[in-house]
Amino acid sequence: MDNECYLHKAKYVMLETRLLNTGLAKKVWSCSTMNTNELCGNNCNLFVGGFKDLGTVVKLLQEDLGGVRLFGYKLHNDRIEFGEMKDFDEIPTTVADIQKPGYFRISSTGYRFRHSFSSPKAFLLPPEHSILTVSQGYEIVEDGDGEMGVVFLGIKPCDRKAMSILDGILYGKSPVYTKRRDSIKAIIVEECLEPGETCFCSAVKAGPTISSGFDIAYARLYKDTLVFKYGSSLGEKILVKAGLQKAQDSHVKAYFEMVANAISMMNSRISRVEELQKALKERIGDKSFWEKVSSNCVGCGNCNYVCPTCFCTEINDIVEEGYSKRIGMWLGCLTYTYGLVAGGHFRQELYTRYRHFVLHKFLFYPKQVGDVGCVGCGRCITWCPLGVDLRDTLNLLVEGGTR
Amino acid sequence: MKVELQKDNYTANPFVFRKALVVNKVEEAPGIYTYFLKFDGEFKILPGQFNMLYVYGLGEVPISLSNLPIFRNGYTLLEHTVRVMGAVTKAITLGLGIGSFIGIRGPYGNGWPLKDAEGRDITIVGGGIGIAPLRPIIKYVEREREKFGRMNILLGARTPRDMPYKYELDKYGAILNTKLLLSSDTPADGWVHHVGFVTDLINNIDVNIKNSVVFVCGPEVMMRVAVKKLLGRGFRKEDIYLSLERRMRCGIGVCGTCQFGHYFVCRDGPVFRYSDIEDYLWVEGI
Ligand SMILES: Cc1cc2nc3c(=O)[nH]c(=O)nc-3n(C[C@H](O)[C@H](O)[C@H](O)COP(=O)(O)OP(=O)(O)OC[C@H]3O[C@@H](n4cnc5c(N)ncnc54)[C@H](O)[C@@H]3O)c2cc1C
Ligand code: SF4
Ligand code: SF4
Ligand code: FES
Repeated sequence: MDNECYLHKAKYVMLETRLLNTGLAKKVWSCSTMNTNELCGNNCNLFVGGFKDLGTVVKLLQEDLGGVRLFGYKLHNDRIEFGEMKDFDEIPTTVADIQKPGYFRISSTGYRFRHSFSSPKAFLLPPEHSILTVSQGYEIVEDGDGEMGVVFLGIKPCDRKAMSILDGILYGKSPVYTKRRDSIKAIIVEECLEPGETCFCSAVKAGPTISSGFDIAYARLYKDTLVFKYGSSLGEKILVKAGLQKAQDSHVKAYFEMVANAISMMNSRISRVEELQKALKERIGDKSFWEKVSSNCVGCGNCNYVCPTCFCTEINDIVEEGYSKRIGMWLGCLTYTYGLVAGGHFRQELYTRYRHFVLHKFLFYPKQVGDVGCVGCGRCITWCPLGVDLRDTLNLLVEGGTR
Repeated sequence: MKVELQKDNYTANPFVFRKALVVNKVEEAPGIYTYFLKFDGEFKILPGQFNMLYVYGLGEVPISLSNLPIFRNGYTLLEHTVRVMGAVTKAITLGLGIGSFIGIRGPYGNGWPLKDAEGRDITIVGGGIGIAPLRPIIKYVEREREKFGRMNILLGARTPRDMPYKYELDKYGAILNTKLLLSSDTPADGWVHHVGFVTDLINNIDVNIKNSVVFVCGPEVMMRVAVKKLLGRGFRKEDIYLSLERRMRCGIGVCGTCQFGHYFVCRDGPVFRYSDIEDYLWVEGI
């Protein structure tokens, strides 16, 4: 490794980084000016191609893995959802999204979309999933859904990190999650060069680029110019097989500039996480603060359902034809039923439920899985019918209620 | 994130329960019944742990172990004391007689730290149905009497009639080196014990405070008052243990609904050392 980083004109150094999905240490070459989560983790080893090449890459990957199904973002009823794709070209390439607090529209001018309303969580922990089927005589009728192999195509770095967070909570414990997680045979990530209005992934170290936990990543530089990189030996093999060209200096430069712009724009949207955590600890019992920041919330739970890291579920028994089906269903902590029990309620007042959502993401996940549980995707902001903006809450927290 | 993927992590479905037979049912107090459940195979469960009891077509409820388990001739006999509250507990208490079946999975939770309590004095503070999870401690200390120091047992109920295990309370008081203190929130004919809250009795505890553990279970308000009084009497934060209750749907740390601060009560609790939860216990609705 004798070359230097193109962007920073600095030497490469050997760094130890933690792999997102396994927590294992791994040595990588990195630009000496960057930390391990930033840009140059992959030797600036970029390739260039178009959507046609992405198609080739996907096809080669499918051949290599054999009989895998594709899951990714696609257009559905004027919004973008995460779901099974017939083919790679279902990725929206000729529309853009416009996102604001409480607002989402698809626009035909532009070619970049940010995030879907549903995340990979919808695959990994379906909104309704079978847990057990029981007969009236208390015998258990197991119903396993057969083996499957899946490729995630084009998921965003924020959603990839959300998977690692869910792994920390559910992997090896929740049967449905574990099985579906194990079915993922390869991950292709689409990096974001122009974040949306509600995004703040870089401020929580979840994007807009990715340095580990993927096989292949690409970023859309211009309309049909993509830069590719690999993150695993499988990814390397496929990119080489696809015969992609090495990126030229101009591509590399443009890529890094766009990334740097995206980061600086998003980082200014919330305060530093360490400051937020300190303020949250101090404000934990400040009822009037939490009442104020939750005053527009109606407790619908939309934020929970679109959040890629919210995982709470309830179990309902549905009796049909002499059997009781025990069904796991998403349950939002913002909704009234969450803490409701006969003869009481553990979080009756709405402010306590809104507070739990915020505390969980920023104070409790770090203790539960070792990292902040918010990946800055902004979904809770976009899809809140009232436009309640998590960033406002976070900023008020640090500014001491002046905004 | 210390998760190793693809490492044989998918094992048996943890939601699968065992089918248990109700072999006896005892009415303890109005709306409170103790069930004796029998099923095949050995089942290891400790005082302070709980099981999820399943009623066909309705759902599951977390219920604590209320007596030491018995393993005999290849089967297990467990006791659970259930108070009628909502849908599932109503179905259990009204619908489930001797000879009926029920689903049971567990054991869950950490249990009372009885090993750490060896060689020390023990205080038990229980209110209402909260006495149920404390009862196995009393039975255990009785069985292993020489391992522990003095024992003080403080039990309270709304009225004398609401007190569970009335038929054996005298036996608790007769355990060697044990003081039993009872209280009723309301006065009643023939009640010779304290009238007021069970936490009032903390003033009368007669143990070596410096070498003690305290086990508390009851409604959360009562536990908070107990903590205040115990600290006031000089007990150390680290020596006070509370068994908490939260809405539980899975018991195995995946449904998320039992969270109390950053803890999953089903997995990290239900028994907590007060010093580990002091940041949360006083925050309403945390
Ligand atoms: C660790 C633990 C141990 C417990 N031990 C006992 C015991 O030994 N004896 C006893 O009588 N009660 C005990 N409880 C309380 C008991 O679980 C509830 O009273 C019971 O779940 C009420 O269910 P329900 O269906 O009657 O009420 P509903 O409110 O109609 O219940 C619907 C569902 O809510 C859940 N739920 C309701 N209330 C509670 C609650 N207070 N805590 C947790 N989940 C709840 C259950 O999953 C139930 O299926 C314990 C609770 C916990 C958390
Ligand atoms: S913050 Fe918005 S989306 Fe979330 S519960 Fe409140 S109103 Fe619903
Ligand atoms: S809390 Fe909001 S911004 Fe953060 S990960 Fe969840 S949906 Fe995205
Ligand atoms: S009861 Fe489901 S996580 Fe604790």
